[in-house]
Amino acid sequence: MTAAEGARTTKVAGVARTTGAAATSSTAASRQGPLDLTLSFVDEDTVRSTAGAASDPDWLLADRLAGLRAFEALPIETNQLYTTYVDLRNARLAETRPRLGPSGPAAKIATAAKLLPEGAAGYAEIGDDRVTALVLAPEARDAGVVLDTLAGLGARDPEWLRRLLEGGCTLPENDKLAQLNRALWTNGLVLHVPDGVRLERPVVLRWSIGSPGSAVLSRSVISVGEDAEVSVVEEQVASAGSIGADPSGPQSFFAGTTEVRLGPGSTLSFAGLQDFAISQVAFQHRSAVLERGASIRWALAHLGARIIRSRIDNTLEGDGSSVEQAEIVFGSSDQLFDLTSYTRHLGRDTTGNLLSKAALADRSRAYMKGLATIDKPAHGTDSFLGEFAMLLSKQARSVAIPSLEIDQPDCRRVAHASSVGPIDETQLFYLESRGIDPDDARKFIVLGYLEPVVARVPLQGAQDRLRELLEAKWDARTGARPASVAVA
Amino acid sequence: MATSPQIVSGEYKFGFHDEVEYLEQTKRGLTRETVEEISRIKDEPKWMLDFRLRAYEHFLSRPMPTWGGDLLQIDLDKIVYYRKPSEGEEKSWDDVPEKIKKTFERLGIPEAERKFLSGVGAQYDSEVVYHSVREELSKIGVVFMGTDQGLKEYPELFRKYFATVVPPEDNKFAALNSAVWSGGSFVYVPKGVEVPLPLQAYFRINAENTGQFERTLIIVDEGAKVHYIEGCTAPIYTTDALHAAVVEVIALPGSKVRYTTIQNWSNDVYNLVTKRAHAHAHSTVEWIDANTGSRLTMKYPSIYLRGEGATAEVISVAVAGKGQHQDTGAKAIHLAPNTRSRIISKSISKDGGRTTYRGQLKVVPGATGVVASVRCDALLLDEGSRSDTYPYIDIQEDDTTMTHEATVGKISQDQVFYLMSRGLTENEATNLVVQGFLEVFTKELPMEYAIEFNRLVKLEMEGSLG
Repeated sequence: MTAAEGARTTKVAGVARTTGAAATSSTAASRQGPLDLTLSFVDEDTVRSTAGAASDPDWLLADRLAGLRAFEALPIETNQLYTTYVDLRNARLAETRPRLGPSGPAAKIATAAKLLPEGAAGYAEIGDDRVTALVLAPEARDAGVVLDTLAGLGARDPEWLRRLLEGGCTLPENDKLAQLNRALWTNGLVLHVPDGVRLERPVVLRWSIGSPGSAVLSRSVISVGEDAEVSVVEEQVASAGSIGADPSGPQSFFAGTTEVRLGPGSTLSFAGLQDFAISQVAFQHRSAVLERGASIRWALAHLGARIIRSRIDNTLEGDGSSVEQAEIVFGSSDQLFDLTSYTRHLGRDTTGNLLSKAALADRSRAYMKGLATIDKPAHGTDSFLGEFAMLLSKQARSVAIPSLEIDQPDCRRVAHASSVGPIDETQLFYLESRGIDPDDARKFIVLGYLEPVVARVPLQGAQDRLRELLEAKWDARTGARPASVAVA
Repeated sequence: MATSPQIVSGEYKFGFHDEVEYLEQTKRGLTRETVEEISRIKDEPKWMLDFRLRAYEHFLSRPMPTWGGDLLQIDLDKIVYYRKPSEGEEKSWDDVPEKIKKTFERLGIPEAERKFLSGVGAQYDSEVVYHSVREELSKIGVVFMGTDQGLKEYPELFRKYFATVVPPEDNKFAALNSAVWSGGSFVYVPKGVEVPLPLQAYFRINAENTGQFERTLIIVDEGAKVHYIEGCTAPIYTTDALHAAVVEVIALPGSKVRYTTIQNWSNDVYNLVTKRAHAHAHSTVEWIDANTGSRLTMKYPSIYLRGEGATAEVISVAVAGKGQHQDTGAKAIHLAPNTRSRIISKSISKDGGRTTYRGQLKVVPGATGVVASVRCDALLLDEGSRSDTYPYIDIQEDDTTMTHEATVGKISQDQVFYLMSRGLTENEATNLVVQGFLEVFTKELPMEYAIEFNRLVKLEMEGSLG
């Protein structure tokens, strides 16, 4: 895995250097505004054929069409705080198309217990066109945990599916891209943990996608019952067909939404590792609605893809609910990471602790946009928002917009902080004075800087893999080693 | 929080207004003819008329900003864009019309002038009516006059720098100001000259529905030093007034400029101001900016650090009471290596008022060795008040050290309790805590201003306590 990843990122970094020149000479790369989204498949026919292929009930088709209308009406960014920091110029998605997988017996989903990763209580695998595997460990199945496709749930309990999806449910109404998924999702998962069930081992969701020209639109729901507890590891990796893809060649498109509902007193730990190919453009939405005393812990690592546009909505409705969110970015070549997070405090004594950290090499860019809103009823709120960046090259760019909107003065704490700088010279000096090679010292500092997310990944294997990926990416970034060291 | 009956909350304390006979004024509303008429009355050179018309066209084509405060209540057709209260510039106090003089006396200007002022540029509505520069300032070559007069007397210097810092295309209200500007101060400090006392200008809006579009241009030559102070009070009106000013500061290499503002417009004024400075090599520019008045203020004093080693500092204070929205902040744009900036913002919201910090910190590629810090603290004094913070931090150079911190909170009850245990009343204790919160600003003011400002804050605070 390490060697393969290393080879891939090396190639990516090498090729990426030429893309600027390629784009200007290519006739295909016509002038595109930063806000232009060049999808060609989004129309009523596609919505109807998608619904037809899935044999959707009438309410679902109506809901998809409502999503389509919202998509058509909305601008790419509705928040004026952020519009100037949207840049989709490198997204060339006109050729991408959703692929409908085989239906009927050919669409058989693997369920063999041997597919279950070590230490996991459940496993789902999603490919470019469909869900390919679904496995639950016996203890999870016996406790009533549900891990299924949305289609599977619809066949089993149509009313439940309707409750989960209808009206766009918890998808942000003002978000064009979330409404795109509402209109055109073709696959999706549901994970349900019943009241009182505490799963000790995590559920692993693995996405393996990115064939050139493919468009994958998915919608997933995680619901955790009262006093239940579960952890999820979501791994998003490049499918075999996209590894080593030419960054100036055809791109692939991924749009995914995950809606989380947390019942009273429940807990979810969600670790996301994203390492798509450089030919991938990915839009992600994650939203969580928390009832009384519920808590969620997000630990998200963004490594791959050409453009990542991610949005997280945390709604702390219940008294005493809390969110702890840690996001890291490790960017190289000309990757663009556009991360937004909205945290809304509604209940009493809620806690928000949000941290974003970016280490940016080459010409990579990160936009870290965060907004904590404290509404009138939210007495006793504790809110912290931190956005930090480490710039590892002259061409890297970091934008931080940690914002606050406060309507209730009776807070325990409301603060935000941000800093940007190069690698700390005093730390470097300290490590070098201990006899550590300068490039190793830099590596240790950068990996240490990103460690807060790594340490939060609940599954040992996934945690190790993330460390390996970060290390491989460090070694592979453009112009990593000074010539003298490389020769030695 | 209930307001005690003996304290008049929200009423403007300096809100008197006199009947003044205006000699010349334009019709209500803005047309191409209005712009041409203003230029004709002022007998301006052709280039300035062309400039005004270009700005007017841009103003028309530019949409109203939809961010920030609520601008929909401004009725641009009701505004008188130019009025001229008396003939030309007055050289001595005796020549100032009696009614206008009386207004200034209530503000305490004549006394202050002899004691502290090195010059007075008092703006009565749209024209500078009284202006004196002390003899010693003239001797050392310092120019301090009305902007209209500056255009006439120093045409080359004026044209070289005018609108180079804030072009009319910068924003809708800068375009409006560029089209109809009138009055303001023109300051030139020659090479190596340090102005020993602050230059002060008092601005007033008078008469209902008068727009105030002053335009200030300050040029500080190499190695020179100046402190400019602007304080505003305005009479109370029944309908909305608009103040759209542009201030341009050019700090040439090695110079030092401090610009202090105490903004206390009455609570019906829309205060939409573009203030920007160019800081050249090794110069220092400081904006010291307090906003306590107005219905809505949108103002973000900016510094473009264009030369190596330049330094920028912005200290800003905003107090928003009932019906007020202070949408203020600061911008530091680092365009050159080894430049430094420090932004400190303090805000207080009370009685349903709203404060917004909106700031930008930008470091462009090649601006190495930048050190920048932003600190925002907000106090929310009661339920129903609101505080927002929107900092934009855009760093495109790895060799940058940037820190940003913000906090929002209420008054520490521990501190109030401690002070009360020493014999202070709750009001006095709370006042003291607020004054401590604002001290980083107050201590930068000249003494008489600091006293006045503390008094002002105390008056503002009393409205919310009781």
